[in-house]
Amino acid sequence: MSLLEVRDLRAGYGMVEVLFGLDIDVDEGELVVVLGANGSGKTTTLRAISGMVSATGSVTYKGQEVLGKRPDQLLGMGMSHVPQGRGTINALSVVDNLRVGGISRKDSEVDSDVELWLERFPRLGERRDQLAGSMSGGEQQMLAIARAFMSKPEFLLLDEPSLGLAPLVTREVFDRLRDVTADTSTSVLLVEQNANLALQFAARGYVLEAGEIVMSGPAEELQGDEAIQKAYLGI
Amino acid sequence: MKSLRGVGPVQSVLWAIALVVLIVLPFTSAPFRVEQYITWMTIAVAAGGLNLLTGYNGQISVGHGALYGTGAYTVAILVTDAEWPLLPTVIAAAVVCFMVGVIIGLPALRIKGLYLALVTLAVATLFPLVIEQFSDLTGGSGGLTLTSEQLYRGSIRDRRVKWESPIDGLASDQWKYFIFLGISIVCFVVIAAIVKSRVGRSLVAIRDNETAAEVSGINVSRTKIITFGVSAGIAGIGGAMFALNKGQVNPTSFTLTLSIYLLVAVVLGGASTVIGPAIGAVIYGVFIDVIAPELPETLESATPLILGTLLVAQMLMAPSGIVGWFHDLTEKVSRRRQGGGKQDKNVDVTVTTHEVVAETDLETDPGGFHP
Amino acid sequence: MRPSRKRIWGSDAKSLSGRGPPVNNFLEILVVGIGNGATYAMLGLGLVVIYRSTGLLNFASGELAMFSTFIVWTFWNLGFPMWLAILGGMLGGFLIGVLVHKVAVSPLGDPHERPLAVVIVTIGLFLGLNGAAQLIWGTVDKRLDPWFGVSQITVGGVAIAWQKIGAVVVLFVMVLLLWALFKFTKVGLSMRAVASNSESSALCGVSVQNMLMLGWGMAAGIGTLAGVFSAPNLGLGTNLMQLTLVFGFAAIVLGGFDSILGAVVGGFVVGILSSVVPQYITVFEKMPLAPAFILILAVLLFRPQGLFGSKDVARV
Repeated sequence: MSLLEVRDLRAGYGMVEVLFGLDIDVDEGELVVVLGANGSGKTTTLRAISGMVSATGSVTYKGQEVLGKRPDQLLGMGMSHVPQGRGTINALSVVDNLRVGGISRKDSEVDSDVELWLERFPRLGERRDQLAGSMSGGEQQMLAIARAFMSKPEFLLLDEPSLGLAPLVTREVFDRLRDVTADTSTSVLLVEQNANLALQFAARGYVLEAGEIVMSGPAEELQGDEAIQKAYLGI
Repeated sequence: MKSLRGVGPVQSVLWAIALVVLIVLPFTSAPFRVEQYITWMTIAVAAGGLNLLTGYNGQISVGHGALYGTGAYTVAILVTDAEWPLLPTVIAAAVVCFMVGVIIGLPALRIKGLYLALVTLAVATLFPLVIEQFSDLTGGSGGLTLTSEQLYRGSIRDRRVKWESPIDGLASDQWKYFIFLGISIVCFVVIAAIVKSRVGRSLVAIRDNETAAEVSGINVSRTKIITFGVSAGIAGIGGAMFALNKGQVNPTSFTLTLSIYLLVAVVLGGASTVIGPAIGAVIYGVFIDVIAPELPETLESATPLILGTLLVAQMLMAPSGIVGWFHDLTEKVSRRRQGGGKQDKNVDVTVTTHEVVAETDLETDPGGFHP
Repeated sequence: MRPSRKRIWGSDAKSLSGRGPPVNNFLEILVVGIGNGATYAMLGLGLVVIYRSTGLLNFASGELAMFSTFIVWTFWNLGFPMWLAILGGMLGGFLIGVLVHKVAVSPLGDPHERPLAVVIVTIGLFLGLNGAAQLIWGTVDKRLDPWFGVSQITVGGVAIAWQKIGAVVVLFVMVLLLWALFKFTKVGLSMRAVASNSESSALCGVSVQNMLMLGWGMAAGIGTLAGVFSAPNLGLGTNLMQLTLVFGFAAIVLGGFDSILGAVVGGFVVGILSSVVPQYITVFEKMPLAPAFILILAVLLFRPQGLFGSKDVARV
């Protein structure tokens, strides 16, 4: 049984339907990517899974139906969502952002965990008292990821971390991401536009077009696919 | 009344009834009631002006009571000190308030939304203090009584102005009623004409998206300033009517409470519908003048509580006001009659509603006072 | 048009220029200004707390304070000691604030998307609270004794009422508590997070609605203190806070809408200006509100973020 099973997921905003019945699986320990162009419904997919837009269909997480649960309930089940545009809390310092990330935890190790994550992301450690809003895009993205890990998630929803970042910075973010997910054996559902990079890190991938899955398979297979190469890899 | 596109039989009947009621009303009511109706008209006119600014143009003013007061004091000073005849002072009040409005409109170009509401709220609070400060001109807290030289018991004396009816069988309060009804109708016809014109569409475009309006060639700054001026001028006419009706002005009549009630009239009746403010003014008047005095003394102060609750409830449940709600209702009914063919045009409903309202009001009587 | 039954502006002007021995000494005027300023700062603090948590200008803030000051009076009148009555009033204000947010404000959504709706709802609350207070406590002013008594001390020839000193001390205690709350507690952290980015905060498991509700409750509780210090001078009536509201707004406009420090500094500046200026410039004699108004206008036009506000607040 998969960790996450999405079946026939449909969602939209008001009268406008965006998703037309998606099926997605994520296994334990896996990093799965959903590729798609702007407006294909990537962000909506994640928002529907984490209960931020109303949706129909079925989302099973750890064998339990979770569609309709609120983000804070999902957080309690170990699912954490890093929103698009990084979603750092700009008026708070780096340390405070991390503390907010751990706010739902009841244990007493939040403060020591904050230090741990500042060590894992040294660039954040150097800026621990700086306001999040005044940092560079790459630093904010790392902060958003580190903050999500503060809730000790088993499963991470990650929305387009490459958005607005320079290629070198994007690569650094992905490297860090791979290290920490491996360390913490966290499963990840990533949505990305940057197929080239994402497929190097992911185990499997789905291709989303206008709200429908048009292709799926192991990452190497997708990398080799001619249509993907044309559409997303620019080869 | 000719049939208009979008005016159903229900509306036509309602307008006809309203017209008849407006004509019959002064003949079937006691003189003190007729005076109250006139007060409602002054509120309706001022609210109509406010609606142009706040409803159509999106510039929120919590200070139109001060402009109403400015109009009233202009009339009082001109009649008492400068000995003007009565009706020309109304025009003078409109001009003075237009200019004041333009002056307020200038900073409003930079101060928007909630912050403009804050500044205008301060204006409303400040106004009575200004009147007290400049008591040489305004009579201070004692107020001014509108007087003119009149022949009284064989000699010429300064006496409170009054309205002599030139028509036999028409009492002075009824005569006054029809004069002010006429002025009110003119004001609302002007408002309707503005709303329906190209300018009116510019106002709405600016409200909905200032940048887009600018790009599409509308001179946003000029339009906003002039709207403020016109809106203030109309509010000033309302105040002028108030002064002429009461024959006296006093700073206690123009407090923040008045500004708030003007806004209540606009919102309850229906912001950005021409006739909404008039209906709101009537509802307000019925509450204050008809229902409140009937209540036992201990419950009399329940009126603001009820109005406040009504306002919050309406904003949460039917934000388009009574007129908007009524149009949605008739829209639904007529669509059901025509069958389901138009169901998928839901998105356009609000737009058409406003168009229909604008057209309806242009052709029909805008006084709209039915008790 | 029936005017509201009572004059809504007279009493404050009177307290500055007419009541008591003639104020002829600059320092004494200054002391009056500082005392009033502390009151404006308290109301301003409430406004800042709401602005920080919801981005909203609360036009009903003064009426909330008035209402809870009546609750204080009720307890006090029943024979409770003043400090207990004040605690009771603050608690009452807190509960009303929470209720108001839950029922009327939170369903509106983002206040800057629908400014007219916010203005209308807070003004509806304004009317409603004013009417409710008239209904419960009548239209005759009540007398609330000064918390710190009527005696005064003389420092260097200047008489200072203990009530004024008390106001300043209470203000600083409030500021200290607020600062500690925001700086050191989980709740304070959550409130700051919600104010900056409510969606991300929700994703981190912060209960956004609870934090906003708490903000409203706290603001109303703090406002009670402003009412308690205004009432002995102005007489406790339903129009108690209408002038003070404008002064409070002037304070936070000057200080910056989201700055606690700004509310305090702004409160004192506005308090001093509005008592000193009318003494020296005769055209402002009967309208101590005018300097505050000019200040509001000038700051919004030329420095919308105020002295200490953050830039992104300046959505003017």
